[in-house]
Amino acid sequence: MFRMMPEQASEVAPKIDWLIYLITDISVFFTVLICGAMIYFAIRYRQRDGKHHETPQIKGDHLLEMVWTIVPTIICIYVAYYGVKYFYDIRHVPLDGDVVTVNVQGQKWKWDFEYDNGKKTTGEAVIPVGQHVKFVLTSRDVLHSFFVPAMRVKTDAIPGRYTYAAFKPVKTGTYQVFCTEYCGKDHSMMLAKVRVVSEAEYKTWLDDKSEELALLKMTPPERGRAAYNKHGCNACHSLDGSRLVGPSFLKAYGREGTYDSGKKYAVDHEYIRQSIYEPNAHIVDSYPPNLMPNYTDQVSAQELDDLIAFIRSLDGSAPVAAQPAAAAQPAVDLAALSPIERGKLLYQQKICVTCHSIDGSKLVGPSFKGIYGATQKHVDGSSATVDEGYIRESILQPGLKVAEGYQNMMPPYEGQLSEEQIKDISEFIKSLK
Amino acid sequence: MTSHQHAANPAQNYLNHPKGVWSWLTTTDHKRIALLYLFTILLSFFAGGVAALVMRTELMFPGHDLVSADTYNRLFTLHGVLMIFLFIVPGIPATMGNFLLPLMIGAKDVAFPRLNLLSYYIYVIGALFGVAALANPVDTGWTFYTPYSMDTGTSVVLMTAAAFILGFSSILTGLNFIVTVHKLRAPGMTWSRLPVFVWGTYATAVIQTLATPVVGITLLLLIMERLMGVGIFDPKLGGDPVLFQHMFWFYSHPVVYIMVLPAFGVVGEIIPVFSRKPLFGYRIVCLSSLAIAIIGFVVWAHHMFVAGISDTAAIYFSIITFAVAIPTAIKVFNWVSTMYKGSIRFDTPMLYAMGFVFLFLVAGTTGIYLAALAADVFYHDTYFVVAHFHYTIQGGAVIGLMAALHFWFPKMTGKMYNETVGKIAWILVFIGFNLTFIPQFGLGMEGMPRRYYDYLPEFQSMHSLSTIGAYVNAFGYSFALFNLLWAWIFSKNYAPANPYESLSLEWQTPSPPPTENFVETPIVTDWTYGYGTPLKSGAH
Amino acid sequence: MSHGLFRTEWVAGEPPDIHHMDVPTAYDAAKLGMWLFLATEILLFGGLFAAYALFHWAYPTEFHHASKELNWKIGAFNTCVLLISSFYAALSVDAAQHNNNKKVVRYLLITLGCGLIFLVVKYFEWTGKASHGLFPGTSGEHGAFNSPEFNHSYRMFFGLYYCMTGLHALHVIIGMAILAWAANLARKGRFSKRYYTPVEVGALYWHLVDLIWIYLFPLLYLVG
Repeated sequence: MFRMMPEQASEVAPKIDWLIYLITDISVFFTVLICGAMIYFAIRYRQRDGKHHETPQIKGDHLLEMVWTIVPTIICIYVAYYGVKYFYDIRHVPLDGDVVTVNVQGQKWKWDFEYDNGKKTTGEAVIPVGQHVKFVLTSRDVLHSFFVPAMRVKTDAIPGRYTYAAFKPVKTGTYQVFCTEYCGKDHSMMLAKVRVVSEAEYKTWLDDKSEELALLKMTPPERGRAAYNKHGCNACHSLDGSRLVGPSFLKAYGREGTYDSGKKYAVDHEYIRQSIYEPNAHIVDSYPPNLMPNYTDQVSAQELDDLIAFIRSLDGSAPVAAQPAAAAQPAVDLAALSPIERGKLLYQQKICVTCHSIDGSKLVGPSFKGIYGATQKHVDGSSATVDEGYIRESILQPGLKVAEGYQNMMPPYEGQLSEEQIKDISEFIKSLK
Repeated sequence: MTSHQHAANPAQNYLNHPKGVWSWLTTTDHKRIALLYLFTILLSFFAGGVAALVMRTELMFPGHDLVSADTYNRLFTLHGVLMIFLFIVPGIPATMGNFLLPLMIGAKDVAFPRLNLLSYYIYVIGALFGVAALANPVDTGWTFYTPYSMDTGTSVVLMTAAAFILGFSSILTGLNFIVTVHKLRAPGMTWSRLPVFVWGTYATAVIQTLATPVVGITLLLLIMERLMGVGIFDPKLGGDPVLFQHMFWFYSHPVVYIMVLPAFGVVGEIIPVFSRKPLFGYRIVCLSSLAIAIIGFVVWAHHMFVAGISDTAAIYFSIITFAVAIPTAIKVFNWVSTMYKGSIRFDTPMLYAMGFVFLFLVAGTTGIYLAALAADVFYHDTYFVVAHFHYTIQGGAVIGLMAALHFWFPKMTGKMYNETVGKIAWILVFIGFNLTFIPQFGLGMEGMPRRYYDYLPEFQSMHSLSTIGAYVNAFGYSFALFNLLWAWIFSKNYAPANPYESLSLEWQTPSPPPTENFVETPIVTDWTYGYGTPLKSGAH
Repeated sequence: MSHGLFRTEWVAGEPPDIHHMDVPTAYDAAKLGMWLFLATEILLFGGLFAAYALFHWAYPTEFHHASKELNWKIGAFNTCVLLISSFYAALSVDAAQHNNNKKVVRYLLITLGCGLIFLVVKYFEWTGKASHGLFPGTSGEHGAFNSPEFNHSYRMFFGLYYCMTGLHALHVIIGMAILAWAANLARKGRFSKRYYTPVEVGALYWHLVDLIWIYLFPLLYLVG
């Protein structure tokens, strides 16, 4: 009864489930037994005519009381023993052999992963099947908790401390990660994926440096734009002048005004540096304080320069940060590719991947899998069928129709993608049945 | 039942003498203070319930429906703070405990009547601080975990100050009760003759007095941390956020027993009366209350198995936690055995008591999952925990309070309520409650985390069921309380002194009792549970 | 109104008329109540002592250096002042038991005087430290203390120092209020060997205030 645990994807999962179902069976047995007795007594000894009948003055029974002290004690010891035993299995990390170590940093409201070779990802960790994996956890701001239900592991990520969650995946596939320690506004959006792949696929993925190579060929504002997306600035700072959680970057550079404390300021290099490294030193325009995390340890000096260059470029002359497509392309012959392949490339380059999965899982935005031709509901109650026109509009003016269950977070890509490229992306989405 | 109409409603009782609002606000009579508390805590119950319904409505379907994520976070904090600090901690002790404790031990009042009134006003001041914090409601959860509670821009200082002040009220109530039980028992009321409700309230008072100061200092340090930046809980300054959890749970785990131990007492009073049988194993039932209170002090870190404590500590706390299960199990067995060969009547209080046994069994058995280390790693901070503690606190403490309100209603008001309506309301509460929280066990098993404003579509069906259950449950409570209120104001059906033929002292004085409780100080010659025909020696 | 909220009438030297218990019970109850309250006070400070112990264990050298900033002579002086005050509080109970209300007043005034001296010394000690920038706070005035370079464990030591001595000082003030109330009753000739509960429970409370300081002094000024 009540066999409801999720898929078992780690070595330890079947043991945990065995323990849980054991407790379930014991619980159901005793609940039925005791409530059964209660209901039986209630019926058997009820007052039939509204008058008291004679009852024996039984004050207790030592033997019975001994029995129902000792039996639960034995059961408790048995269950506690297996609880501790399997807890060891959960916490155990082999000292020798291949342990894949992934450093995880929780931050309002995303998970960052970093591998030993320096490869970094956000929102998705790729790990090889059949090898013990140790996720070393910490947090940049408040408490978070790293929970992978399919692996049956959970550990809090604590600022200023390292903890870990370890397991040995036994199946390939993509598994949901939740944050289970309340961490503020978008706690319920702080999701990620663990993708378990074959050993070979893992190696290829780990050594794939194409993203970094692409960065080398960019101009500073372009690199700044990449950093803007990579660090999630886009969640709070718009590029079109609209007020989100924080001030917009449009025409920000050179702006003058007064802080909420009354001091005067002008946005220059130093202002931007301070805003990133000491975000709460000054607050403007009555934005709530302490919302923006301190990026000292995340944004490198190079990235800071790039971000400043990017913000300077947003002077309103071009319709939002133009990013010459050609310069950013890796050296592949685009013409030789099919539209679907080109679309997939764009999907990765334009960071669609951060928010839209292609396997049906829910990230910040709706998954692309099977979305083409489907009917999409919107927060305003309307709905529409997803076709090429719909995709085009979603990319260029994402705020017009916001899918039900999501927030209006996507930056508009107007001016960043050619019509050709939008077509390629549409083809790619079409292919994801 | 014509006897009711002819029952004496004594001309002068604690309700009608002295008269006037001022005499109520300055009363030192424990019975009136109990009613003042009752009125205030039911207001909190109502407000907390509304917050819960708004949340459940939001969770009916995935995505953004009714309120924003930020509002949702403030709502669940408000729900927790109202229900824990303002409603259920004072819930049974300060209302039923205040009313019954002196009556049950044959005293004229509690030991320090003016201190008792002071506790009430401290409670009101604490509540007003909480209301002041509504200007910018807190979004930390009722646990105020650091470092989030140090970063958030909401009025944490006011809200923690409110909890601190409420704690002070709780300490003084507990202290008053301990002294009362020690010093004011009527002649012949020995410790082994005390009613189990008194035992439960006494064990509760010990926890209130000894655990609350620790959370007091914890909240004070949190306030200092926010105002001065001391750094004790702040990892950026070398402090330790996990220390806050230790200090917080050192109180907040025992606080669960503050809520349910008096409810155990209530059930232990009701079942013998309606079964016409002595409470089975009286001595062990009383001792198990004390055992739970004492063991409850050394299990706090089972809230922190995955919070970065050492594996050794986790194992220790897991094993000790199982030790709490045993006295709890003993109690359940004893209640059910009391009904054996009884002469059972199903008045509304008895229905609540029987419902309590089932709900508390579910609460207790699901507690085993959370005590077992390997299983708790999965269940911690999921909906399973949410369901478990609602079974404990709502299924335990709130149902216990409802049972108590129905059982002692004739004594408190001198009126009888409508039995049929009471029973219908009980059915609604029972069904609604289970419909709300059984699906949440399922959600927890599937891995749905708690405190989520939005959720993945696969969780929807059980969330929807739960929401429907919440509405039924809320309707049931409203119906039951409305029935009582109606009877109190309009009923002409006056209660006799002892409508349920109980042997306990509080029923041996008129309903409602006179200001001095008893016309003359009672002398106790036998224990409270001498129901039934004495057995011939040698037989059980 | 013999047992309402406001009781006014009384007879010199006689216990007040309490409607719900007899005189010896009332005395026992008051003493038991105060002892329980003292237990809660010890647990209240217990949380602070636990935090102190934890961070002293974590940062022993820093705490040692930080405690050097405090002047142990001032601390020792205040310890003596409180010990003397406690002695006179005990004497006042004895005087009450011997029907000597005048002596009760005199001894309690000495106790109160000592309490006042303690507070004044403490005030100068705090302001002295604060003027040297040794005061945690979020405003920009105490620059040194809040700069990122300032040693965290120093900051924590002083944070604990202010919390512990501050909470203790609050208790000194509450204790003084209770004793002043008892002194006022004594001035009216209220006490006798049949009734001296307020002096006794007041003195009990005062001894606790003294006792806590006896722990605070070595922890903060000497052990560091």
